[in-house]
Amino acid sequence: MRHWTLAHPTVSAFVSSIVRDFTARDDVLQEIAVAAIESFDRYATDRPFVPWAMGIARNQIRLYLRREKRNRLLFDDNVVEQLAVAFEATTEQSTSLGFLRDCLGALEGRAKQICELRYVENHKPAAIAERVKMTANSVAKSLQRIRDQLRECIERKSLAEGGSS
Amino acid sequence: MNRSPRELISGYFDDVLSDEEHQELSDWLIASRANAEQFAHAALLHDRIRGELLATAEIANTADAASVSPARSVTPLSVWRRATLWATTLLVVAGSVLCWNGVGDRQVAAASIELDRLISVTQDSPDRIYQIAVESVALPLPRREPREPDGRRRPPKPPMDGAMLFVRRGGQFVLERTTDLGLLFVTGSDGQVSWAVRPDGPVRFSTDVTRFNHDVPGHEFEMPLVHLEEGLERLKFGYEVTLMPIESPVDEQSADAVSTRLLVAVKQRGGRGPQRVEVTYDVESGLIQQLRFVDMPYGPERLTLRLTLFKQRYLGTEFFKHDSHHSPDRVVEFEE
Repeated sequence: MRHWTLAHPTVSAFVSSIVRDFTARDDVLQEIAVAAIESFDRYATDRPFVPWAMGIARNQIRLYLRREKRNRLLFDDNVVEQLAVAFEATTEQSTSLGFLRDCLGALEGRAKQICELRYVENHKPAAIAERVKMTANSVAKSLQRIRDQLRECIERKSLAEGGSS
Repeated sequence: MNRSPRELISGYFDDVLSDEEHQELSDWLIASRANAEQFAHAALLHDRIRGELLATAEIANTADAASVSPARSVTPLSVWRRATLWATTLLVVAGSVLCWNGVGDRQVAAASIELDRLISVTQDSPDRIYQIAVESVALPLPRREPREPDGRRRPPKPPMDGAMLFVRRGGQFVLERTTDLGLLFVTGSDGQVSWAVRPDGPVRFSTDVTRFNHDVPGHEFEMPLVHLEEGLERLKFGYEVTLMPIESPVDEQSADAVSTRLLVAVKQRGGRGPQRVEVTYDVESGLIQQLRFVDMPYGPERLTLRLTLFKQRYLGTEFFKHDSHHSPDRVVEFEE
């Protein structure tokens, strides 16, 4: 029954990639968890769990997209399907993100503030810009740089750990 | 394409793309599986950043609540008591339902999945500091005081109430208790050796990492308080685990408002260990805020005690070694 624990990061990231509003994303993820629980007796235990959970996630995402069909800035079904397949292939990669906490801890000053405004307080770049006296474009670029730095930091730590073991 | 794929991906996550840029990104994703995987890697990071930062913010809130406001520290108790009543009622109802349809299976599956998630989050957590409080002690019948093999009267166990527990992955812990005389009694393990720093006498250490767990509640039935992950794993066997409804924060506008949930594990007949274990956790992050052990055997006594997360922070490389907890002039003895 460790299945859900293993599948959760992949499913969660898949949902986040389609449903960008954090609150809506949380709702959809919860719907997926409930649907997974309710249909768990139909899961064949000799089959991999992640694709099964992703199947449920796809269905719930389709329902979400149907509800949000007026929003033009959402991916269509073909893109969603392509992404679902891609996410299933990235399950292993999620484990190296264990170094993220350390890398986030190294953020300082404005980078840290922008990151918290974006991810904890759920502000978009335009709203963050007002708080930190920058332009929205600069905030968006900063967020991109921060994510790049975090990825590089994770890769460095992964390599260091691999080298020392 | 005016913007690079990396810029488009980042802009997409922050919702700053124009219609044209959004279409560019869609076309790029459809163009190849490798592109979609590059996007997926970025999305994993994006999603995990939020999870980590929310957890960190929650920890900070928990620490503030525990250290700044005495009134707030009382709140979890009332939550526990209310939840306990709910737990008892719902367990009876759930037990009845289990007998005649499949709902019980789903509830059990849901609880089991959630328990696994909590274990996983706990295993991945940084160093944690818990405050221990003893709510009640069921006193045994009068009996002879235990004695050491040489006939000396065994010293009383340091009280658990008010103790601080520091834990790290790999079975590392430090348990600080204060004796009735106000002196610090510290036991611990760095995962390689266990040790005890008593207020007087020599510092003792042993390569048996459980050597100094014997006066810690729970050690007799593989649920020592100092190894929380093991304790949570133990709930999978010999316990009926049930999830209570999610509790929304009273003040949803509050900065530290989080939805919490209670997982209740009730000991099955014939099993060993506490009668009931209650785990309150943050629904979003899976971070355990409080553990409550009801009717936990402790020698001849039965305790009801709770562990409340006080803080999560890195404690340094030396913290779990005995040298960090006594002056260098203390005599150190090895014990088999």
